[in-house]
Amino acid sequence: MLGVRNLHKSFGSNEVLKGVDFTINDGEVVAVIGPSGSGKTTFLRCLSFLEKANSGEYIFDDLDKDITKITRKEIKALRMKMGFVFQNFNLFRNMTAIKNVTEGLTVVRKIPEDQARVKAETLLDKVGMLDHANYYPDELSGGQQQRAAIARALANDPEVVMFDEPTSALDPELIGEVLSVMTKLAEEGTTMIVVTHEMNFAADVADRIVFMENGRVVEEGPSEEVLKNPKEEATKRFLRRILEHDE
Amino acid sequence: MFVINERLWQILISSLPKLLIPFLTISLKITVLTFIFGTLLAMLIAIVQIAEVPILKQLARAYIWIFRSTPLLLQLWIIFFGLPTLGFKFSGFTAAVIAYSMNEAAYNAEIIRSSILAVPEGQIEAGYMVGMNYFQIMTRVVLPQAARIAFPPMFNSLIALVKDTSLASSVTVIEMMAVARQIAARYYEPFALYCETGLIYLVVCTLLTKLQSYLEGRLVWKSTDNHPSITSGNKAQEAA
Repeated sequence: MLGVRNLHKSFGSNEVLKGVDFTINDGEVVAVIGPSGSGKTTFLRCLSFLEKANSGEYIFDDLDKDITKITRKEIKALRMKMGFVFQNFNLFRNMTAIKNVTEGLTVVRKIPEDQARVKAETLLDKVGMLDHANYYPDELSGGQQQRAAIARALANDPEVVMFDEPTSALDPELIGEVLSVMTKLAEEGTTMIVVTHEMNFAADVADRIVFMENGRVVEEGPSEEVLKNPKEEATKRFLRRILEHDE
Repeated sequence: MFVINERLWQILISSLPKLLIPFLTISLKITVLTFIFGTLLAMLIAIVQIAEVPILKQLARAYIWIFRSTPLLLQLWIIFFGLPTLGFKFSGFTAAVIAYSMNEAAYNAEIIRSSILAVPEGQIEAGYMVGMNYFQIMTRVVLPQAARIAFPPMFNSLIALVKDTSLASSVTVIEMMAVARQIAARYYEPFALYCETGLIYLVVCTLLTKLQSYLEGRLVWKSTDNHPSITSGNKAQEAA
């Protein structure tokens, strides 16, 4: 289980997160939606310590601690239990797809190269990238890069995988292949937090939707409920705008 | 009217080895030594800036400012003619290597620093998320990528250095330009001799440019057609 209580984050005088409470249980898929600038990405980056939160409580399994007091060593250990998929993939450009997956295993966890390769091949196969294992990121399409990045995020057998708008940088025709990999992971019971604009994915795959606006969680609940019968005016407004755009 | 007669041919041919020998033994030696020392020093200067080491960072900025804002010839003369006043005496050759290395370091430090900073932040974040520490990210992700970015401008500065070695003739180093001047004076043929010398620089620098293009092509991260792990992966699948 991962969660935060009363999470605050400011960039200078601009307060981006104004007290976010959030929990995700094992095996759950949570979609975080909301207009741009609502703090979704910052929220995910605070959960993974890519941004330093200003205050809040951080909960991960047995750990329950002031987020500002978490040590560098603890952060490293926590990160080993999470996978992170970036909007811009961020595959290591100087390494092949398979090396991207094995790198953390061999360098950080000191697993022998051949064992790491076996594992990486399984993961690349899972995301449909085994044929491209020895290609460098520059030789792959955005969809292929993102699938390889998902394989990399899974390498440590993470307890939770975070997706930061994983399809936003993709050409429309490449979105499907990435979403189908993510759907497969969700079906296998992977715990996932997905910041997304893909409402169909949120509706079909997520167990729960968290709607954020202006640095706060405005509404949350089972996907169907939030999408079909939103209670808050802000959620209704956002969904109406998205639906109009889709039509 | 300038004509190449038999006498001139003789002079040009006989002076070719006389020019080439000091070029290979002195000019290129200065170039290679300078490039090694200059790059090592440049790395230090770049790293203290990127790692934001207090005091050393300011010193590095001051160093770069001074060496990029004064002529190389002046730096060379200060080291060769000036420093003996303070009790530091160097041979012309040593003074040249010191001056060039220090000058080269200022320029290369900026190339190295900007190349490291040109590696996208996302690469570093991805490194942290797979559990790497700062040192692992630097050595395995950032520096290999920065090296590729730095390669073309570093090679350019190497080519510039080959030509700058000619300044060493002003501090008693008998490199190619000094020899050319001697021969030109002996035969009263400055035009022909300096053209011949120029031709040698031209040929060497052209070869270096070709080498640069070749190496740049090799540095691109491209897969080969031979994909061992895919075949082994397929075999594993067939076996299973």
